[in-house]
This record gives sequence, C-alpha cells and structure tokens, in this order.
Amino acid sequence: MLRKGITESFGAAIHALSASQLTDGVINRSKRMMLDTLGVGLLGTRTAVFNKALKYSQLLTSEHRSSIWGRSEISLPPYYAAFVNGIAVHSMDFDDTWHPATHPSGAVLPALLALVETLPSRPSGLDLLLAFNVGIEVQGRLMRFSREAYNIPERFHPPSVVGVMGSAAASAKLLGLSPSQCSHALAIAASSAGAPLANAATQTKPLHIGNAARRGLEAALLAQIGVEGNPAILDMDSGLGVYYNDYCPSAMPVCDSGDFRWILEDQDVAFKRIPAHLAMHWLVDAALEARAELQETAWTFDLSQIQRVTLRVPPSKYINCPLPTTEHQARHSFQFNACSALLDKKVTVASFDQARINRPALKELLSKVEVETPADNQPSFDKMYCEVQIETAQGQSCTARCNTFYGHWRKPLSQEDLMEKFSANASSVLCTEGVEGVIDVVENIEKVTEGSVLGSYLRMSSNTHEQMYLTRIL
Amino acid sequence: MFKLQKTLRPIQTARRIHNSAVEAVLRRPAPEETVTASFGKFISGVKSEHLSSVVLHRSKRMVLDSIGVGLIGSTTEVSEMVLQHCKHMYGPDHVSSVYGRRGVKLSPTLAAFVNGVATHSMDFDDTWHPATHPSGAVLPAVLALSDMMPASRKPSGLDFLLAFNVGIEIQGRLMRFSNEARNIPKRFHPPTVVGPMGSAAACARLLSLDPSQCSHALAIAASLAGAPMANAATQCKPLHIGNASRLGLEAALLASRGLEASHLVLDAVAGVAGFNAFYEDYVPQPLDSPHDGHAFLLEEQDMGFKRFPAHLGMHWVADAAASVHKLLVGVGPGKVSPDQVQDILLRVPLSKYINRPFPESEHEARHSFQFNACSALLDGEVTVQSFTPAAMSRPELHALLSRVQLEHPHDNPANFNLMYGEVQVTLVGGDILRGHCDTFYGHWRNPLTIESLRKKFRSNAEAVLPSEKVERLVEVVDKLDRLGDCKDLLSQLQ
Repeated sequence: MLRKGITESFGAAIHALSASQLTDGVINRSKRMMLDTLGVGLLGTRTAVFNKALKYSQLLTSEHRSSIWGRSEISLPPYYAAFVNGIAVHSMDFDDTWHPATHPSGAVLPALLALVETLPSRPSGLDLLLAFNVGIEVQGRLMRFSREAYNIPERFHPPSVVGVMGSAAASAKLLGLSPSQCSHALAIAASSAGAPLANAATQTKPLHIGNAARRGLEAALLAQIGVEGNPAILDMDSGLGVYYNDYCPSAMPVCDSGDFRWILEDQDVAFKRIPAHLAMHWLVDAALEARAELQETAWTFDLSQIQRVTLRVPPSKYINCPLPTTEHQARHSFQFNACSALLDKKVTVASFDQARINRPALKELLSKVEVETPADNQPSFDKMYCEVQIETAQGQSCTARCNTFYGHWRKPLSQEDLMEKFSANASSVLCTEGVEGVIDVVENIEKVTEGSVLGSYLRMSSNTHEQMYLTRIL
Repeated sequence: MFKLQKTLRPIQTARRIHNSAVEAVLRRPAPEETVTASFGKFISGVKSEHLSSVVLHRSKRMVLDSIGVGLIGSTTEVSEMVLQHCKHMYGPDHVSSVYGRRGVKLSPTLAAFVNGVATHSMDFDDTWHPATHPSGAVLPAVLALSDMMPASRKPSGLDFLLAFNVGIEIQGRLMRFSNEARNIPKRFHPPTVVGPMGSAAACARLLSLDPSQCSHALAIAASLAGAPMANAATQCKPLHIGNASRLGLEAALLASRGLEASHLVLDAVAGVAGFNAFYEDYVPQPLDSPHDGHAFLLEEQDMGFKRFPAHLGMHWVADAAASVHKLLVGVGPGKVSPDQVQDILLRVPLSKYINRPFPESEHEARHSFQFNACSALLDGEVTVQSFTPAAMSRPELHALLSRVQLEHPHDNPANFNLMYGEVQVTLVGGDILRGHCDTFYGHWRNPLTIESLRKKFRSNAEAVLPSEKVERLVEVVDKLDRLGDCKDLLSQLQ
C-alpha cells in the first residue's frame, strides 16, 4: 500500500496541469459545457428554490452579528459564528462523548448561541435549554437506528452524520418552526451529513463539528423560508440510511403524554479530563496505575529500566498511531498517551504541545511500545477496557487494567471537578467576570429571561489575551 | 433586526405558493405515521415542562463543559485560521456576481452557492458518464473566485478554462474508482460526492496552490461531500450542486490558508474510510503526471446536454413518445386525445426515484418516466413549459397518466450509457404503436449541434438578460481561450 500515494498524485496533478495540456477537442467541448451551464443557470434564477437560496444568502449580508467566544472585538453572521465556535469546541478533542458514540454538544450549542443573539423573539434561557435538549435527543434517537452506531466508527465520523441533524432540530425548535418545517429542516440537513473518518486525527476533524453546527442551522433557516426536502428522509434507506450498513428507523413517541423519556435521563455523557480521543482515557488511567504499582514494588525504579510496554486495547485503526508527529495525531494515539502518562505521571492540555511531542525521551519510550487487540476487547465505548503492562530490564512486570475511567458515564465527574475543568479552560481567555458570569448563567439558565446574555459573558476576553491576537493579526 | 423582520413577511406568500405541496403531503398515506413526521411533530411540540430535573441537571453540565472547552479551544491555530477565513470571506464588500441579478453581489462562497442552486434548479444542466452533473459544481465556484481576484490580476480566459477543466477531470477520475458509479445512483447523489472534489480541485488550480495544498483541498472537501438520493426529486436537490460548488471553493480557500487534512483521503486504508466511505466497491488509481502525456477524460467521453429540464432518463422516453405522437397525428399539426388511447406501456430501466406515476410537484415531474412520456405523447415534445402548474394539471395529461404501466426488461440496465426507452401505445381500436429510443438527441453519442446548443442558451439567457448581453456571452465563451482577461465574461452575467 506504500506506492506513491494516490491522494498525493492528485495534488501533484492539480498543481501541475497547465493550459498547454488542453487539446482543441477538450477546449471545444468544455466551452459548450460552459455555455450551456450559464444559460441553464440564468433561466434557473427565475425558480422558487433559487429565490429562497438568494434571500437566505442575502440575509447573511445583513447586520446580524453573533459572538465569537473569547473575542470582544469580533462578531460574525450566525452561520459563521456557529462554524468557528463549533470548531473551537472540537479543536482539542476535549468535548463530551456519548453512547452510542458521538460528540453531541459541540454540534448543537454553537448554533443555538449564534441564533439566540439574532432572533427578534428574544428566547429565554429556558427556551435555549429546551432547544439544546431537543438537539441532543434527536442525535441519540438517530444513532439507535443502527447497530453499527454502537461501535467505534470506521466509515463516517458520527458527529458529521447525526450532529448536523441535531443542530437542525435544535435550531428548528428555537425558531419555533411548524412540524412540517421541522421535518424539512431534517431533510435538508441530511444532504449536509457525512464526513469520512480519514480526516479524524487531522486538523480538519474540528471542522466536522463546526460544519455540523453551521449546516444544521442553515438547514433550519432554509426550512423556515420554505425550502423543502424529502418528507420521509428518516424513513428511507436512500435517506439517512445511506450513512449506515444496517438501518432500522423508528418513530419518536408522541410527547404530550407527560411521561416522555429523554435519552439523556437514562444515558449520561462522558466528560473528558484529557484533550484526547475518549479511548485514551482508559489507557492513561491504566498506565498511571501500572506505573504507580511499579514505583511501589520495585526497590528503585526509573523509566530507563523499562524494556517493554504492552497495551491491550480494542481494535481501531485511527487511534493506533505508533509515532505521531502532529498534535492531532497525538490525541489519537494509544501509544503517545500511554507514554506521556508514564513519563510525566499525568496527561494534560500541555502534553500535546509540539515540544512535548518531539521529546527524545518520549520517542525512545514509544519505540518500546507494543499494541495488542485481545478478542474480548470490543470497540465500543460502553464495553471496552485498556490494559497496560510494563516490563523492566530487571524482570519486573506490572499490569493494570482500567474498565471505567473517571469521567465516563458510569463514573461521572463530580460537580467540583467539572467546574474546575471549566474554570481552568475559560480563564485562559476570559477575565474573571466573564468566567463567573458564564457559570452563573448556566447554573440558573432556566430562570434567565434573555438567553443572549450568555453571549455577552462569552465575549469578555481578558485584555492580555486579545492583545496577543491583535498583534498577530497586524 | 429590521432586516430580519422584513424577511418574515415573505414566508406567508411562500406558504401560499406551497399550499399544493402541503396538500400533496397530506394526501399521501397518513404522514403522521411516518418516522420523519413523528420527529417533526416532536421537535415542534415538545415543551419546557417536559424537562425533568435530572435532564436539567445533566444538560447544564454539558453546556458548561462545552463552553469551557470552546473557550480554550479558541486559542488553537486551527481556530485562528478559520476565523481569519470567515472574516475575510465575510467582508462588507460585495464581491461576486449573482447570475441574472443586476447589481447583486455576494461574498464568493455564497455567490457560488446561489449560482450553483440556480444551475441545477430545473435539472437542466449537463450530465456525464459515469453519471454526475459536472459543470454546475465547478463553474459557479470558478466564476466567484475570479470575481474575488483583484482587477489587475484576473485570470486569463485560458487560465479560467484550465481551472474549469481540472474540476471536470477530477470528477471523472474519481468516478472511475468505483463500478457502482457507472449506474444510475441509489445511495449518494453523485454531484454531492464528486462535485465538491471537482470544485475544490478547480479552485485550487486557479489559486495556484502547491501540490500539498491541492491534496489538502481535496481532503477538506471530502469532509463536506455526500448527500442521500432521497432528496432528489425534491426542492432540496438543487442545493446539492450549490453546496458542491461553494464547499469546494471553501475547501480550496481553507487549504490556501494552511488547513491540513488526511493525506490519504483518496487511498483505501483498511479500517479507516476516506473518500471510499461513499462507495461499496472502490479501487483508486493514481493520476498520471501531466508531463507523461495526460489525456483529459473529456476527450474520450463527451457530455450529454439536455433539451428539456428533466432528469436525463426522461429524454429517452420523451423521444420515443414523440415518435408515437407523430404517428398518431400524421403529417398535419393535429392533437392527440386521451380518448384514442387504451393503455401505455413504458419499457424503462429499474430506478425507483424516477418512477413516479402521479407526480405532485415540478421536482417530482422532472423525475417521472410516466409524466415525461405522457407530456411528449400529448404535445409532441417536452419543454420548459411542460412543468408549469397549468401544464401539469391538465385533465388530458392525468387521463393518460392513469393508463401507464411500467416494465423493466432485463436488457435495459440502469446505466446512462446502455439504457433505452420504449413507449408502446395500445389504441382503443386495438392498434399498437411503438416508439423506441436508444440514443436521444443531446446524448454524448448524438451531441447537440452548435446551433441547437446556442438556441437553448439564447432561449434560457433571454429570460433574464437583454439580448446584447446574451450575444456578447455567446461570443465571449466562444473565444474564451483567447481572452486576455476573463473580466469580459464576469461582467456579462447580470
């Protein structure tokens, strides 16, 4: 498989093709195509669908501006605010994860916050919270249409499939769309779903969440002005079913019954303590435990004595990266996270700096790592485990296993620890007033009269932070 | 605020126009029983009192965590890059022209979007083999990007044409990676799979990105590809091409700012799907370096142009039905009456999304063997006018539609290179008339003459442009490869 990369060859060709390669035949035919396309396009400007798309796009040139988190000086139209804020949420793989697997909140919250700042109806905090939960619920429901969704993905990155649907649902809710419009929002969103897993562990992965947020928002806005898609989009194999190998949809229950059961009630999310793929959390806990045990039992222990480190993990190609070179790869590497834990006795935000990734000591340790995928270790965030075995040159061996890491839905973060994570993160860009304001608003969100107040706190950047960026831009 | 209120008013008129569509949905078998309708109902009907305290508590934890993560994430390089992109693309200047709208300009990706939507809005745009609509995904993006470039450094006509061809070529090459692509699609709508890739390639070419950036443009575009076939024959379908165009442009612009993605996106890596996520069988091939005598696919495989605005499959049955119309009417003008017809049999390939016995919207009508055959039988041809509400609601047409049956012979594969259309009409007297079409006029095997192509263009363009601009466009495109500055093209579009 290591002949000259195909993708590379495409890049090279796109770059190198020149006008001298255009033959008369090709020139002639392509001019015919261009002419025809222009004529067809001009005629098409008289259609209803075109007019809607134009109205929609002109809306975006309006004065509407939504906050960019952590920036006091900048605002963007809601579509782009949702995009960049969504990217920010997933940029370090630090956001929540659910079962079946997806990152539900990042696809929904940025879209809602962007929208709430521009709606003349001025939704309350409770409206916002309700819409948020609608967006989460729809994602959960959709994932249960397929057995495939219960395992660590291989084909489509789940946030790109269900995330955009959740964003569309949440936005439709906040906009107060009719049932039919809500269905069409889902249909339009389905045409914006599905990104391949190959872009995980790259710089583009965060865009999957940013795109889900913005394209779901757009789908709802388009549905609001009357664009229609297939009203049976969820029913059909050729609808949402295209993203799955097995697909068995079922209806949402009627909700006036009063005993509507939200999925979130029965299935909590996991919050991450480390900005890395969820599977790394089991591994780090196991590595730290094995290391501690070795430290305790051995007379004298130092890392140079390590001869071999064996990782027993579930099978998943995209998180098996022996020698990562970028932060994105590092966040998706069993090997890297295990070795970081062994070297530093913790894995934190700082562990993924380029300098840390390049450390010779780390690279040396990486060379001693072996990965095994035992048959009983299923690629599912509900069932997997990670085991780390450290063997020293002196013949000692310690093995530790983690079945449920702290932060997993079976062992949720305490409120204090969740707050601590938030404060540490938020303080990196917001001043104290902003940090505390956000905590206060979210804590009491169902009583807040204007949801947009959250945006005003999110803009309260600390001076030093913004200064740094202004100088960079200049 | 003011502007948003203004746009709320048109929604009412839109609702009136779409009454027929709403009624159509209600006439279908109990829509409230569908899964999709249940979702819509839920989203619309759920209230805050349905939130339990556990759900309140858990979701607030999620909101808090998500914001914190987003705040720290805003300090990353990728966040900064993308923010700059959005600020730049969303500047107060109106940059790129919208087809046919004097003085209306939008930011480039939005112009590409709306023009792409316009291009596919009537299913009138070109079709290739393997099947996709290649030009609509590429041209709007290349135009928008050209508009974006400074006046002193606009691409020459030839550069423009090259970029366009790169966009077409890449689409053709990608489709040849899969046998599935050769047949009428069932799962993903092809323009949404290869279209963004073509647009990204064309824009990367026009931006003169380096090889690595070009690869990343493709990889970024791959994460924006793919839409389900279920939205074909709906109003959403034109957005497939609009999105392909704008998202490919965006991918190229992001790549030009240094955004990186998978460098193996087109290669087949076991256990991690790249572009092959969109296909069941997938065997990628590298592209030859241009120096080794690269031949553009367009050279070997011509394009199909449509004579009327409907799915390509309709053109076979329309031509077949038109020949039966001629037989019925004889030499003079005459009229075909449903009373003459006992039943109609169509022999067509098997393809669910173009088998619609009683289409209710123009979008469905453009994707209905039955509708197009009967229109051609009645009128002798299918035209732009055949899809107007008046034409669609004719009682004579409905009478004919109720007499149609479909047959799917084994020798009629769902493949635009191999299929045929046959129309067999049994008259009331017992006579049987048959029309058969292997290759409609406009198919790549029987291409439109330059006169026919120009006639189509003029008829289309004159709907929105004055005839001087129409003629100028014909002229400018004809000599595009010799044009020193493509602004002569850009300035005639509205």
